[in-house]
Amino acid sequence: MKTKKQNNSHIYWNPYFGGFLLGIIIIFTFYLTGRGLGASGAVKSTVVTIVDQVAPTHAENNTYYSQFLKDDDTPMNTWLVFEALGVIIGAFISGSLSGRIRWRIQHSPKISSKRRLVFALLGGVLFGLGAQIARGCTSGAALSGMAVLSSGGFITMLAIFGSAFATAYFFRKNWI
Amino acid sequence: MGPLLPNGFIPFEWDSIIAIIIGIAFGFVLESSGFSSSRKLAGVFYGYDFAVLKVFFTAAAVSVIGIYYMDYLGYLDITQLYIHPTYLWGAIIGGVIMGVGFVAGGFCPGTSLCAVAIGKLDAWVYVFGIMIGVFLFSELFPLFEPIYDGYFLGNITLIDSFGWNPYWIIFIFAIIAVVSFVIADIIRKRVKKVFYE
Amino acid sequence: MNKKNIAKILSFRYMLMATVLIILAGGLLLLPKHQKQEGITSETLLSHAISNERYISTDQISHKIINGDPSFILVDVRDEKSYQTYSLPNAINIPLPELFKDAHLEYINQDQFDVVFFSNDNFHADQAWLLCDRLGFKNLRVLQGGLNTWFTTIINPSIPSEDQPLEDFERYKTRKAASMYFGVTYPDQDIDNNLTVPKPTPKKIITVQKKKKRVAEGGC
Repeated sequence: MKTKKQNNSHIYWNPYFGGFLLGIIIIFTFYLTGRGLGASGAVKSTVVTIVDQVAPTHAENNTYYSQFLKDDDTPMNTWLVFEALGVIIGAFISGSLSGRIRWRIQHSPKISSKRRLVFALLGGVLFGLGAQIARGCTSGAALSGMAVLSSGGFITMLAIFGSAFATAYFFRKNWI
Repeated sequence: MGPLLPNGFIPFEWDSIIAIIIGIAFGFVLESSGFSSSRKLAGVFYGYDFAVLKVFFTAAAVSVIGIYYMDYLGYLDITQLYIHPTYLWGAIIGGVIMGVGFVAGGFCPGTSLCAVAIGKLDAWVYVFGIMIGVFLFSELFPLFEPIYDGYFLGNITLIDSFGWNPYWIIFIFAIIAVVSFVIADIIRKRVKKVFYE
Repeated sequence: MNKKNIAKILSFRYMLMATVLIILAGGLLLLPKHQKQEGITSETLLSHAISNERYISTDQISHKIINGDPSFILVDVRDEKSYQTYSLPNAINIPLPELFKDAHLEYINQDQFDVVFFSNDNFHADQAWLLCDRLGFKNLRVLQGGLNTWFTTIINPSIPSEDQPLEDFERYKTRKAASMYFGVTYPDQDIDNNLTVPKPTPKKIITVQKKKKRVAEGGC
């Protein structure tokens, strides 16, 4: 039994333990920097940088991009980008310790890989759009917002999970 | 005395280094909790795996309790923390869109970065999708601007919105969290097991 | 151990953890509430209040004014009428009741200059000093004896009698010179001197840099 467990790379931490550590990390983040965690901000910075490289004048004329453009610095030099890099490093360390690293597409046996990728793309587009409208994603708005009892954080959290539960039925084939 | 960085207890240059260290810890915990698996994440919406709910609620409860204890003991000044601003309809509409994206894609940005790190191709596609989403938003910004900038209620907390005592909010929040864990376990026993990796 | 036992232990553990979580959350409710201390602690305040370090003598101040020392701001905490009647050169007027107005805070709460409070005597200046020190503002001083001492020492120094030591005569000399600088004329002065002495000190413009405080930012 024991050896079997060790070989199985899909034994994850107890969720309460993970949640407890995550909570401690959030406390430390607030204690050190006065701000919460985030993830989608890094992707936003990347997009702004790419657009700025490809079409500088267009980026400057756009009201949204121009908010993040500085004359003397790249938009990549922000806290969230470094944090996102850390997330990738940390996940890589954790994944390699448990032997989970390999190229693959994870999907329900009922659907094809292609369908999974199409839905992943669709979900990504929607999430990217929503995260910009709500000024934060699950980690930035909901989790860090809730840690300081921000009203916006609670509203975002309820909206995300409410609509996800409401629409889950239509996507059931993808997952179950 | 805290937060340390804005109050100058730690030199400004450490900002990015701290960001990377915190990110590593964040990514490590997310990946180890199984958040790099989209089927595990989506399980919460179909009742076969409640890891998201458990991790998410435990983290929120622990962090809010910890922050308020640190504030009580004087290590951290809560008034100096960044409070996520409340744009009422932006939060609701954005949240609804994100919810659909969550079920469709099976990730949120943070977890997708974890999955990117361990080589899940669907996560790569998902992150690419987020980029397209951000790009669309920026290009159509005039269209979204009324929601994005409108209905601004300030950097408010539940205490400002409802005048509740923060300690009661935390206490009730902790009870809700525990009750939801119990309900989650009951539901999970009734729902047909789904095998996934 | 069979599966049922494991499940039992686990559920007991979870009950325990849930109880700990709820007790911790409830603990915040039960803990005695205390007024949040803003600024320095009362012990530090007391030790500051007892020490005489905050006082600066009229001789030192006159010396600084005459030498054009730019490192301090004189703050007159009396009301505006008294300020109009007489005040120290280049002093700014912040009446005690208006001490914490936003426009005044940028003069008082900064790290650039020494702030020297003065009133007619120590009393109101000390009050202003106490209030500001309590909030943790830095570089606060009080003019010892206030304007009353200023008049008796600098403007109208008493002539030492014959039996007093030499230092007193020296001090009298410097004070007399200082008083001449501040526009007092003496009968034994030459007429020529008289013409040059009462030059008005040019109004010093005090620019205070706003205290830099980085606000925590966020966003995802």
